[in-house]
Amino acid sequence: MLTAPEERATPAEIRKKSGESITIRWVDGHTSTFAARYLRGRCPCAQCVSETSGERLVSEEHIRPDIALEAARTVGNYALHFSFSDGHTTGIYSFDYLRRICPCEECA
Amino acid sequence: MSEAAITESKVLDALRSVMDPDLRRDIVSLNFIRNMKIEGGTVSFDVNLTTPACPVKDRLREQSRQAVLDRVPGVKDVRVNMTAEVRRPPAPETGRIRGVKNIIAVGSGKGGVGKSTVAANIAASLARSGAKVGLLDADIYGPSIPIMMRSKDEPEIKDQVIQPVNAHGVKLMSMGYLSGEMPLIWRGPMAHKALQQSLLGVNWGELDYLVVDLPPGTGDVHLTLVQTVPVTGAVIVSTPQDVGLQISMKTLRMFQQTKVPLLGIIENMSYYVCPHCGGRDEIFGHGGAALAAESLGVPFLGEIPLDPAIRKHSDAGMPVVLAEPESASARALAELTGKLAQQVSIQAFRSVPLTIVEE
Ligand SMILES: Nc1ncnc2c1ncn2[C@@H]1O[C@H](COP(=O)(O)OP(=O)(O)OP(=O)(O)O)[C@@H](O)[C@H]1O
Ligand code: SF4
Ligand SMILES: [Mg+2]
Ligand SMILES: [Zn+2]
Ligand SMILES: [Zn+2]
Repeated sequence: MLTAPEERATPAEIRKKSGESITIRWVDGHTSTFAARYLRGRCPCAQCVSETSGERLVSEEHIRPDIALEAARTVGNYALHFSFSDGHTTGIYSFDYLRRICPCEECA
Repeated sequence: MSEAAITESKVLDALRSVMDPDLRRDIVSLNFIRNMKIEGGTVSFDVNLTTPACPVKDRLREQSRQAVLDRVPGVKDVRVNMTAEVRRPPAPETGRIRGVKNIIAVGSGKGGVGKSTVAANIAASLARSGAKVGLLDADIYGPSIPIMMRSKDEPEIKDQVIQPVNAHGVKLMSMGYLSGEMPLIWRGPMAHKALQQSLLGVNWGELDYLVVDLPPGTGDVHLTLVQTVPVTGAVIVSTPQDVGLQISMKTLRMFQQTKVPLLGIIENMSYYVCPHCGGRDEIFGHGGAALAAESLGVPFLGEIPLDPAIRKHSDAGMPVVLAEPESASARALAELTGKLAQQVSIQAFRSVPLTIVEE
């Protein structure tokens, strides 16, 4: 089926812990918790990843440890948009991408 | 012999035997039964379906009537009133157009497959069934809906909000209205803003369905659409000549990647009906879309014949489903619209609510 490969990347529940992290429970039961700094260091936007070479320009070590996740909202049916305390707001994180970068031991 | 009284709960128990074929649940637990009245041996109630375009309306009416007659002792007469209320999927509140319950995107792999014709007929057919419908022409490269829906009017702007044009009972907005003196090729950011304005800056009012006619292929307009509003689902129009549907595949994949559910595939200009003898001619060996739909696990919504009348009525400004509703082509379009409305209802019940819980 066409929808099979990404089916896992469908969220059943999304929780935000103020400032700190976002937790997604996926439809297959798996749970991913993303800390603010981890997310900010994996921003997929064109300022953080070179559009021509695909090279990551801003990664976790460039981010101050006390960065906060100020706001989160959904984008259509398919992604989340975050605002960070360093003023960065240009990343759109698709659920496919978020599932791929799940930091849990099982996935890493 | 004295008969036990007819009670509401007995009637509801009887109606639990009637299943909605799409949602695979009984019509009582789906909360379809409304306004029940019991007077002597006469029972009356409404069955509130998920769309006025429901293709199995008559069957559900008859099954409901029979269930009560057969299962509740003492009932002499059953009056079933079929009503409908389009449910909205539990999508996020952000970016929603207030009052708009479902957004249906109509796309195609390549141009000229009849996407706008199909979009106009779907909108007109939904409106004809009694639903509240809007139609947004988002094809910045060749807006054609205003001609197909015969609207010479341009939308008015009141308090910075665009008032859509009313055409055959459908609220109409075209990106063409915003282009004015613009060159035909829009630059990316301009197209982006124009589409956002056409979605969010329009007084759509209450709509059961907003049908969006997209430009062919994939591109910025698609991305802007799915990023701006929660799209209930997408329909792909193809023709038998689409080489193995390959181009449509790219479009399919784009919707899939942005989590827009595929409501189905339509094959247009599928076969030719001879206007003289009524004979059916399979010009291009049709059926490719049905096969592709099956292998992809996407519903196949139907075939539309290559019929000069479809074009004639479009050119004259009235979709064939309104101009000649009894013609074979109009019936094919109406039937496919019913199937589409079914798929929208299924999505509305299936989708998980996407909200972020703050702790
Ligand atoms: N089933 C049909 N039978 C006969 N003519 C049709 C049929 N469907 C569409 N047409 C005609 O084919 C032409 C192209 O249709 P339409 O403009 O709807 O295609 P489109 O896919 O929207 O094209 P574009 O890519 O330019 O937006 C029109 O003249 C239309 O009237
Ligand atoms: S369209 Fe489908 S879901 Fe809606 S009432 Fe009819 S059968 Fe049920
Ligand atoms: Mg068109
Ligand atoms: Zn970034
Ligand atoms: Zn994991």
